Amino acid sequence: MSISDVKQPRVRSFALGAYVGGLAFTNDGETLAAATGAGDVHLIDVAGEGIKVAKAHGGAVLSFAAHPDGVSFLSGGDDGRIVRTARDGSTTEIAKFQGRWIDVLAVHATGSFACGIGKEAKLWARGAAEPATLGPHPSTVAALDFSPDGSRVTAAHYGGVSVWQVAKPKEKARTLNWKGSHVHLRYSPNGRFLATTTQDNAIHVWRLSSGQDMQMAGYRTKVRQLVWTHDSRWLLSDAADCFVAWDFSGKGPEGQPPLEFGFGDGTIMTGIAGHPAAPFLVGGFERGGVRLGDLEGKRELVLRESDEDDGRPLRAVAFSPDGWRVAAGGEDGTVVTFDLKTEPAAS
Amino acid sequence: MSQIPVTVLTGYLGAGKTTLLNRILSENHGRKYAVIINEFGEVGIDNELVVGTDEEIFEMNNGCICCTVRGDLIRTIGGLMKRAGKLDGIIVETTGLADPAPVAQTFVTDDEVKTKTKLDAVVTLVDAKHFPLRLEDSREAEDQVAFADVILLNKTDLVSPAELAKVEARIRQINPYATVHRTAKSAIDIAKVLDKGAFDLKRILTLDPHFLEGGHDHHHHDHDHDHATCTDPTHDHSHDHDHHHHHDHHDAPNPKHADDISSVSVTVAGDIDPDKFQTWITETLRTQGQNILRSKGILSVTGAVQRYVFQAVHMIADSSWGQKWNEGEKRVSKLVFIGRHLDAAQLKAGFEGCRG
Repeated sequence: MSISDVKQPRVRSFALGAYVGGLAFTNDGETLAAATGAGDVHLIDVAGEGIKVAKAHGGAVLSFAAHPDGVSFLSGGDDGRIVRTARDGSTTEIAKFQGRWIDVLAVHATGSFACGIGKEAKLWARGAAEPATLGPHPSTVAALDFSPDGSRVTAAHYGGVSVWQVAKPKEKARTLNWKGSHVHLRYSPNGRFLATTTQDNAIHVWRLSSGQDMQMAGYRTKVRQLVWTHDSRWLLSDAADCFVAWDFSGKGPEGQPPLEFGFGDGTIMTGIAGHPAAPFLVGGFERGGVRLGDLEGKRELVLRESDEDDGRPLRAVAFSPDGWRVAAGGEDGTVVTFDLKTEPAAS
Repeated sequence: MSQIPVTVLTGYLGAGKTTLLNRILSENHGRKYAVIINEFGEVGIDNELVVGTDEEIFEMNNGCICCTVRGDLIRTIGGLMKRAGKLDGIIVETTGLADPAPVAQTFVTDDEVKTKTKLDAVVTLVDAKHFPLRLEDSREAEDQVAFADVILLNKTDLVSPAELAKVEARIRQINPYATVHRTAKSAIDIAKVLDKGAFDLKRILTLDPHFLEGGHDHHHHDHDHDHATCTDPTHDHSHDHDHHHHHDHHDAPNPKHADDISSVSVTVAGDIDPDKFQTWITETLRTQGQNILRSKGILSVTGAVQRYVFQAVHMIADSSWGQKWNEGEKRVSKLVFIGRHLDAAQLKAGFEGCRG
């Protein structure tokens, strides 16, 4: 795929009526699910016309991911429930933690998943019926991520991260420390690096083999989301008015400025996703703009212009598993999809 | 989108916070409030949207000791903003032993929180009967009064008029700028507690003590961007500094030195040189910001037709242009500080040195 293959994408828009906080596709790419602040999971048939609405939660959906089975979705809500929603709109309650908010959720292709419950994390290893408890951590668990091989699950918290073994949840966690509040984390796909974002507008990265770490700063606002490219070469972030990519090839990014390109209309990126197989990324912006970035060509393609007056921040963006479809949704309660393969109507 | 006002409710355990909360929520005002409380489940709060959190005080990695924020509030407010339906306000109840500063700083430093919400006022409940004793054994009780915009001198029915007068005088000594309401069983018109705009620079019209008691309330809704900045120069992004801050979870009251909080008010007739003032206030907050809890000022700046309005919570300062001076109006500049171990003479001389 090359960015020059993308011409005039076909755009569809779906008004869901409440804050869209999460987007995910089924493995076959045919169903796009959007989780909202009204507690619903909307199941959109991306090629056809149908939308099913599953009433998954009593309050807002706070965390959302594609289920490892590839045909359903997992959500956590402020009603304390973890719910699985199938493509047909049926829902199953996986667990309920009365009075808690399930705002942190992580899944892995092996079937494991985990959520944060205050200072603890609950881990369902490879489809286990009952979860193991990890922690307590020094503070509330702010984010969780599985290592690419599924053998570790790591929690971000105040003062650093804790790396737990999925097969031995009772073993003491390996801790990687760095002062400050760590709010998000992502393993590189090759499993060599662990990147977090911190309250003080920076990114922190550990090289897992040595525990050696590095700090990347210069952001004017807090970084909310990180994405690695499929080949682990680039670490990408939101929170800037352009595409920012830190190069982990060769000696790595230490002492090097990041690659920055695609300075658009001055709005700040509020959501980001990486392409599953190519060095592309998509950014959603604070005034509703959507832009596709090409890391090799260092250029961008505007999929949707910002709306200076009425545009609202996009909080979730996603690529379909084949990389040919982009979805974006956010605070205005609308989901937009861009079909990058469809030729203009004339053809 | 307009920002949701946030009211911070502080006060020692037993001062009447829960009673006040329930009064606010049960009044038939047709408004929808979210309540963020600690000590979850201890006493029933009658509201659909009650969120229990653990107070988590996070220091920033930039070495600035005053840049502490409440991590739990950042997360909770992020979650509340996702919910469908309009919210008219958020009320944050702190634990009895809480330091109000990290709460206030959360609303001026975190980008997300500051975009969606605005700090409206710090409301402190004081138990008229037990306050003198609290002052003896805890620093927090004094901090909460010093930090307040509105003080409810509560449980007045449990003390004699003489005792009450004495307690109020003591409160005034710590904080002469807050509005004080005497209450029994936390009974108060909620308009006196909510929507005060105490942190809204556009609504700081005068710094005369007791001015607001006249019932004046001015609404100037203006959504200019005010930029809060930290004056601490160690606030950088290097990662080799070695500040080690003791992380105090406030599990136990801090013994205090008697009567160490005071206020200083400085008035200068005529104009202030903006550059001189900036240099001086930055240096003052940098060196004394740990002791200065709050400061506010209304300045007449050389050549400017508008008032220059300034406020700070510890080292984090915020300023903006306010109302115009009327023609023929006597232009004066006034600055007030509330804090520990303030050197009144030094502050006075410093401010006077900023004359234009």
